[in-house]
Amino acid sequence: MRHTLATFLTLVLLWALVAQGNHALSNLRVYLFVGGLFVTYAALMLPWRAGLATSLLGGLLCDANAPVAFGTHLLLFAAAFAVLWHLRDRLPREDTVARVIVALLANLALFLVFSFTQIGGSPVPAIAWPRLIGDLVCSQICLALIAPWFFALQHRALLLARAERENLA
Amino acid sequence: MPFRRLATAKPFVTLGLVVAAWIVVPVTIKTLARASFYELTAPITVVASYARDLQQYWSLRLHSNGELIEAGRDLARLNASYEFAVQQNTEMQAEIARLEGLLRLPAFANYRLEHVRVASRDFSGWWQRIVIRKGKNFGLPVGAPVIFTGGVVGRVTEVHAATAVVELLTSQNVRLAGVVEGDTRPISYQGGLNPTFGPPRGVVEFVPLDVFASAAAPKRLVTSGLGGVFPPGLTIGEITHVDLSSDGLFKTGEVKLDERLGSVAEVTVLVPLTPE
Repeated sequence: MRHTLATFLTLVLLWALVAQGNHALSNLRVYLFVGGLFVTYAALMLPWRAGLATSLLGGLLCDANAPVAFGTHLLLFAAAFAVLWHLRDRLPREDTVARVIVALLANLALFLVFSFTQIGGSPVPAIAWPRLIGDLVCSQICLALIAPWFFALQHRALLLARAERENLA
Repeated sequence: MPFRRLATAKPFVTLGLVVAAWIVVPVTIKTLARASFYELTAPITVVASYARDLQQYWSLRLHSNGELIEAGRDLARLNASYEFAVQQNTEMQAEIARLEGLLRLPAFANYRLEHVRVASRDFSGWWQRIVIRKGKNFGLPVGAPVIFTGGVVGRVTEVHAATAVVELLTSQNVRLAGVVEGDTRPISYQGGLNPTFGPPRGVVEFVPLDVFASAAAPKRLVTSGLGGVFPPGLTIGEITHVDLSSDGLFKTGEVKLDERLGSVAEVTVLVPLTPE
């Protein structure tokens, strides 16, 4: 429970910061999507139940603030969590660089799948893709920059909630 | 060995269970969960918006008295011309009412103007919307038209306790009937072309064959008043080019929308005085 709550609060903070970033970037028509960060730490570092619960709560948080069918982010994050959990023993998950790479790959996959689910209503879908690719590039750069800080924040939040021991850093 | 296989499949079995559970969860619970999560995060959006306003206030305090005097003088001139326009408007309203009475025409829909600050803007390639700082607490209804100095902003799609969500004109889900200024034949408008770093655009369909437009000589597209949501005559954008459609019966084209939609900070919600 502590794992879930502490990690979920960091996800709320991430969501708020990214929303402010998107607000500031709106006049440039650039949008940041960092869905990969909502699942990576939970899947690589947390116990099974706590990680899954955190990812699902993160999905609900995104769903409530997006004009999509409720559950879209939830199911996508659950799928990403399942894949990452399946791979986690084969990954050097204690290494920050490896975590960042995993987050980038997860974000790429989530962005593409999400785009395919949303682009159907566009009057000219072919024209929408350059914009989406631009957003994806900006999102990946942003994610690579903030991921080390965010993983450290999540770890510190767990320490603060006394849900994690220091030597597991 | 079977135990190990089961352990390997555990994440995917759980994923299947999550999907199955989500399908059978009643809509009421999903709606409640959505509203709860939204209201949980709404104060964050609103507080951040107030913090931005405060930041702007302090930056404006740095202006010199000379600059303020100049701004006051400019505003006084603007107010004088607006006061004249208001007097003319009152006269015209009285004339419209008189003609409606004489000809027994149905009255135009009346609106209450609700000026609202924008709490957050959300302009992705998938959707374009803004969150405004008034909701049920100010009686905003779903579907109400939203305008700003540049014309149409969009319409209210969600109303929450103290906030509301406005889907923008640039969004692919927005379709409305417009007319070329000075014409009466309706044209279908749809948003959805939002290139990175470029101005937002929309598409028009069913443009009459005798309508010509180009980037050098654009045609102003305004709301038609059909459909009953938007009052007639509000600016949608400028038609910058039209081409013959594939069936040859009409033309299709592109509309350049106001670039200020991307940085809009204050909007006006037109609240119908006689809700349907």
